[in-house]
Amino acid sequence: MDINLLVVIKLLVSLTLIIVLVVANSVIMVWLERKMAGFIQRRPGPYEVGPHGIFQTIVDSVKLLTKQIILPGNCDRLLFFLGPILSIFPMFLMFLVIPFSPWLTGLKTELSLLLILAFAGFEGLAVLIGGWASNNKFSLIGAARAVSQTVAYEIPLILAFLAVAFQHGTLDLVAINAAQGAWPWQWNIVTQPLAFLIFLICMFGETNRAPFDLPEGESELTGGYHTEYSGMGFALYFLAEYTSMLLVSFLGTIFFLGGSEGPGGAGVWWTFLKTGGLMIFIIWVRWTYPRVRFDQLLNINWKWLLPLGLLNLWLTAAIMKVL
Amino acid sequence: MTSQFLMALSLPEAAHNILAYTAFTFYIVLIISGGLVAALSRILVRALVGLAVTFLGVAGLYLLLASPFLAFMQLLIYVGAICILIFFAIMLVKNTGSGEEMRLPGLGQITGALIAALTPLALFGPLIVLNTNGTAELPIITPLMEIGSGLLSYYILPFELISIVLLVAMTGSIFLAWDKRFKK
Repeated sequence: MDINLLVVIKLLVSLTLIIVLVVANSVIMVWLERKMAGFIQRRPGPYEVGPHGIFQTIVDSVKLLTKQIILPGNCDRLLFFLGPILSIFPMFLMFLVIPFSPWLTGLKTELSLLLILAFAGFEGLAVLIGGWASNNKFSLIGAARAVSQTVAYEIPLILAFLAVAFQHGTLDLVAINAAQGAWPWQWNIVTQPLAFLIFLICMFGETNRAPFDLPEGESELTGGYHTEYSGMGFALYFLAEYTSMLLVSFLGTIFFLGGSEGPGGAGVWWTFLKTGGLMIFIIWVRWTYPRVRFDQLLNINWKWLLPLGLLNLWLTAAIMKVL
Repeated sequence: MTSQFLMALSLPEAAHNILAYTAFTFYIVLIISGGLVAALSRILVRALVGLAVTFLGVAGLYLLLASPFLAFMQLLIYVGAICILIFFAIMLVKNTGSGEEMRLPGLGQITGALIAALTPLALFGPLIVLNTNGTAELPIITPLMEIGSGLLSYYILPFELISIVLLVAMTGSIFLAWDKRFKK
């Protein structure tokens, strides 16, 4: 047995654990989302299956798994199935480079941020393919909205991450995580408040969550790009949405909130605690704010976030040069 | 990363070679089949998916050359941005329900396409076959820092020239859009 064979085994084990994490995350978050939506609207939320409805999502998953897949008439069969598959599979790769604790990373590489951004592009393509292949006007409009939205919001998001990368001189998530101290005033949110604000807004645009969930827009487009999907096709798109929520929360935690560092010892608990906090924040915003109009959505991005992001990047570069 | 990964396995050289050639063949098959789909499909969106598969294969070849930076940039820019923009352009043209936008090409078009494809092959093919000592035995891994400082010192002129080309393209597109808006 060669010691380097361990590298391969480590990758396989990490991928398995990531799949477990992704599925567990959606099961828990769907329940939490419905429960929180209930509390915000002064009703109990799911209550029947198990104590306080905690088994509701598991029952729902069984329903989705066993549901008949209905093909819309005259659709492109190949692309119709490719869409949902393409939306979830690149997600697993992106979690490989996330440092859950200072030593717990699936794959250590100096290009980890670039890897995540590269595979994030597949998400937009998956939505487009699914929406187009459905042969449905609502799906197509949803897909067209998704494309202009994700392309637009990717730019300020990258600019916000780049400012932090400039500050630490690396694209390595492990190094950025390690460069922050245990106490909140040593985190990047203090040195990069503008970048954090830009990230916080773009987070909703990138994950297609309310108030920026125009590609779905139930009241206008029935179900948006996944109108025609039932059963597992819908489940995979749904899984991808919750997984991208988890991913941006992890990125926000590592880039701005100190990652696994925290008072009383660094570790995996701090990463998950902060990530959970960000996810609850996303849900809270969804049930608090109304959906924006599409022109407003694009105007916020191109007229405010992009110039602010460039300004922030320029300021960071200037300050780093002087120091 | 594939090559780093292969090196990390520290297998005997024969097994090493077999693995490398398998990966290489896989990527080449991806590139060629994707290209064929892109060229021959009568449905524009399927042609675009074929193009995306080709880009994926090219990214894989970059990984095999131990340049993960280029590979990820290829995915980020070509799959993540260019493909999506082409998709947007497809949505702006008139679509039929079945998505079949193209007639079957005529004989003249097919001969033209064949000539256009075979000319570079005839010109560069012999050169490539005759001069095969271009690559090193094992690819050299360049750290990201070196790529960055290289682009801003030794390779600054090509880097800036490419920026100017992009700037001109962007100014042109803004100018076109501006003109249209002004006439309204």
